[in-house]
Amino acid sequence: MALQEVTTAFLKRFRACNGPLYQASKLQCRQYATAGDGQETNELQLSSSGQGMRELEESSFLGGDGTSDTAVQKFDPARTARTRNRRLPPSRYQYKSPRYYRGPLHPHQPPKPSDPSSREFAPGPFSLPRLEQTYHDTFAHDFMTMAYTHFPPGLEPHKKGDRLRPWLGESPYYKNRPLRGPRGGDTLKLLRKPITFRNVPKLERVTVHTMVKGAIDESAYLHVAGMAMQAITGVRAEAHKTRTSVAGFGIREGQYLSVTCDLQGEDMYHFISKVVDVVMPKIKDWRGVRGSSGDSSGHLHFGLTAEDVALFPEIEVNYDMYPPRMIPGCHVTIHTSAKDDRDARLLLTQVGVPFFGKLIN
Amino acid sequence: MNAGQKSARRIAASNGHLPRDTICTSCRHRLSHQPRRHAATAAAAAEEQLPPPPQQAMQHIPPVTAKAPAKAYRLLASPVLSRPPLLTRELTSFEKAYYLYQKRLNERLAQPFSRYFYYKKGTPGDVEWKRKAKARQTAARDIGVYNAYGREGWNDEVLYGDQTAEPENQVDALIRDAEGKNIVDDQPVGDADKDGEAVTGDATVGEGQRRELQKIEVERPMPRMTEADRANDVRSLSRKLDRSLYLLVKNKEGRWRFPEDRVYGRENLHQAAERILIQSCGINMNTWIVGNHPVGHHAYTYALPILSKLAANKLVPTSAAARRGEEGEEREEFGEKAFFMKARIMAGQADVSKNEYGHSEFQWLAKEEVKKAVTPGYWSSVRNMLAER
Repeated sequence: MALQEVTTAFLKRFRACNGPLYQASKLQCRQYATAGDGQETNELQLSSSGQGMRELEESSFLGGDGTSDTAVQKFDPARTARTRNRRLPPSRYQYKSPRYYRGPLHPHQPPKPSDPSSREFAPGPFSLPRLEQTYHDTFAHDFMTMAYTHFPPGLEPHKKGDRLRPWLGESPYYKNRPLRGPRGGDTLKLLRKPITFRNVPKLERVTVHTMVKGAIDESAYLHVAGMAMQAITGVRAEAHKTRTSVAGFGIREGQYLSVTCDLQGEDMYHFISKVVDVVMPKIKDWRGVRGSSGDSSGHLHFGLTAEDVALFPEIEVNYDMYPPRMIPGCHVTIHTSAKDDRDARLLLTQVGVPFFGKLIN
Repeated sequence: MNAGQKSARRIAASNGHLPRDTICTSCRHRLSHQPRRHAATAAAAAEEQLPPPPQQAMQHIPPVTAKAPAKAYRLLASPVLSRPPLLTRELTSFEKAYYLYQKRLNERLAQPFSRYFYYKKGTPGDVEWKRKAKARQTAARDIGVYNAYGREGWNDEVLYGDQTAEPENQVDALIRDAEGKNIVDDQPVGDADKDGEAVTGDATVGEGQRRELQKIEVERPMPRMTEADRANDVRSLSRKLDRSLYLLVKNKEGRWRFPEDRVYGRENLHQAAERILIQSCGINMNTWIVGNHPVGHHAYTYALPILSKLAANKLVPTSAAARRGEEGEEREEFGEKAFFMKARIMAGQADVSKNEYGHSEFQWLAKEEVKKAVTPGYWSSVRNMLAER
C-alpha cells in the first residue's frame, strides 16, 4: 500500500504537463457562472477567430465548445447527489489535508495554502476596493508626475558620497576593517531613489493598536477593546503581553494589556477609506494629522480617541451593545513603501488625509 | 554622448544669452547655472586640473550683429486636462464569479454569526434576524440562498447563468434586507412551504406587517449610467463616470487637439498651462496642474519655415515687448514642439465662447475616443500619456 502511495504521488508530481499553451487556453476560454447573456460567448468567438487563438493547440474549449445547451441546463451536481442511491468511495471524495508537514520527500504532501482544501486556506479577497482602483488609475500617475525631477541632457543628478566611511589613518588595525558607520548614529536611513513607474509609493499595511489601561484591574476592558477593534477593522485582534513590570503603573510582566490588528490588502483599503471618508469628517475640532508624524522611513502614525472610534459605522449601529465608557481609543500606523516621510505624506494627502503644523521630513 | 546632449552642452558652455522663447524657464535656469558641488564631488574635482573655461576664448570673437531673423522651433505648452474616473469599474465576469465563490467559502469556514452579541433575546431585532436568517439560511445577505453548514454545503459554486453575483442583484438583496423583507420572494424554506398566507398565525408576521405599515423606503444607489451616457453627450462631464475624460478643442484649422499656445516671456510650462486653460476654456473651471514637468511632447516640422512675429500676451507681463507696446521680434520657425502638462479638473465646465485662440468646439473624450478624433501623428505622441481607464 505504502509503495503504491509513493508511486502515485511521485507520478503526480513528475508527470509531464499538458503544455503551457493548452493550460493557458483553458484558463482564457472557460465559461464562468455569471456569463448569462451572449456577451461572453461573443467574446469567445471573436477571440477564437483571432490570430492568437489559431496558434493554440486544438482543444474542445476552442471553437464550438462541444457542450450543447441541454447539457448545460441539465448540469446540477446537487440534484445529482440527491438522487444518487449508492455511496461514493470516501477515500476519493472526503480528502483531508495532512495535519503536519513532514518534509518535502514525504509522499503525502499538504496542498498549497491557496487551495480551499488546505488547512491554512483563508478565503478572500471578496471585492475590489474603490481606493485600490483609484490608486492605480489616478494617484500613482499623479505621484509620478509630481515626484519627477528633470535633468536636461548633459546634466546628471549629483552623486552622493559613500554612506559608510572608510577608516583613515596609519594604524595597522584599520587594515581590512569593515567600513565605519554613519556620523551621529549607528543606523543608516533608507535610501530614497528617484521615483519611476517601478517604485511609486503605495500603501502596504495598516496596524491598529490600542493599549487598554483599564485592563490592569479588569480584563473586561480588554475583551471590549478586542471586539471594538475587530468590528472596525474586520480582522482578528491579537492580544499582547506586557514585557516588563512597571511598578509605577501597577503593571506586572505577562499581563495582557494591548490589542493589535494588522491589516493588509483588501481589509486595509476598506479601513483607510472608512477612516478618511466617514470618520475623519465627523471628528469635532480636529485639525488633521500632525505634520511631524512619521518615523522618517515612510510610516506615518495618528491617534483616534475613544469618541472618534465610536464614530466608525460598525460601532455606531450598535453602540448600545458596548458597555459604557469601555470603547478604547487607538493608534493607527500606516505603512507605505515610500522611503521617506515626505513621499508618504504626499501619498496620504492624495488619499485624503489632512496634515497640519510643521511638516518634518 | 548623443547629439542632443552635445547641443545642450554647447548651449550651456557658451554661457551667453540664452534665447528666451526657445527653451523653458526651468531648463534655462539649470543650464545657465553651474551644477551644484557637493563635498564628495568637490574633492574629486579639485584633483583634476580643469581646462581654462571657454569664455575667454569666446571673448575674442567679435559679437555677431544679427540682422537675419532668429531661427528656432515654436515652443508650445499644452495642458492635458482630465477628469479622473469617479466610479469603480465594472467587474469582469470572472471577478464577479470569483468574489461570490470566495464569499461562499468564507461562509463555510467562518465562525457562526454571534447573534447573542448583536441582538438581545426576545427583542424585535432578534425576531427579525431569525426570520430573515431562516429564509436565506446564512448570515451573509449578498450570496443568495446558501446553507454553508448544511448537508449540501459543498455545493458552493453557482450554476452557469446564475445571476446571484451580478452587482444589481446584490444591491437588490441588501435593500430588501434593509427594508425588512427576505432577500428572496416566497422561497420554500426546507420542507415547510410558507407563502404569505401560510404563516399568518406566526408571531413573526405581526412584526413583518408592522414593517409594511411603516413603509421603510431605502434609498437606492444612483445608476451608473447617466443621462449624458444615454445621449452620448461628449460635452458633458457626467458621461463615462468610470473612465478618465480628456478635454479636446477644435482649433482654427479644424483639428482636434489639446488646448495649446506659445510660451511667452519668462513664464514656465506650469504657468503657461494655467494661462492657456483660462484663455482657451474660460475661468469657470477649478483646475490643478499636476507637477511642474511635462508628461509628453509632440514635435512637428513644417514643410517650409514660417516667418512669424512674437507678439505680446496680455496675461504675461514679461512677454516680448508687452510693456513697451512695440512690435515683437521676427523669427523663422521650422516647426513646433508642444509639451503636454498634466492637469485635473475638480469642478466647473469648459466654455470656448470667449476663447482667444479661435477654438470653435470642445469635447470630453475617453482614450479610445481621443484616438478617433485626433490625427495619427498626434495620437502616436499622446497615446502613452493617457491613462487606460
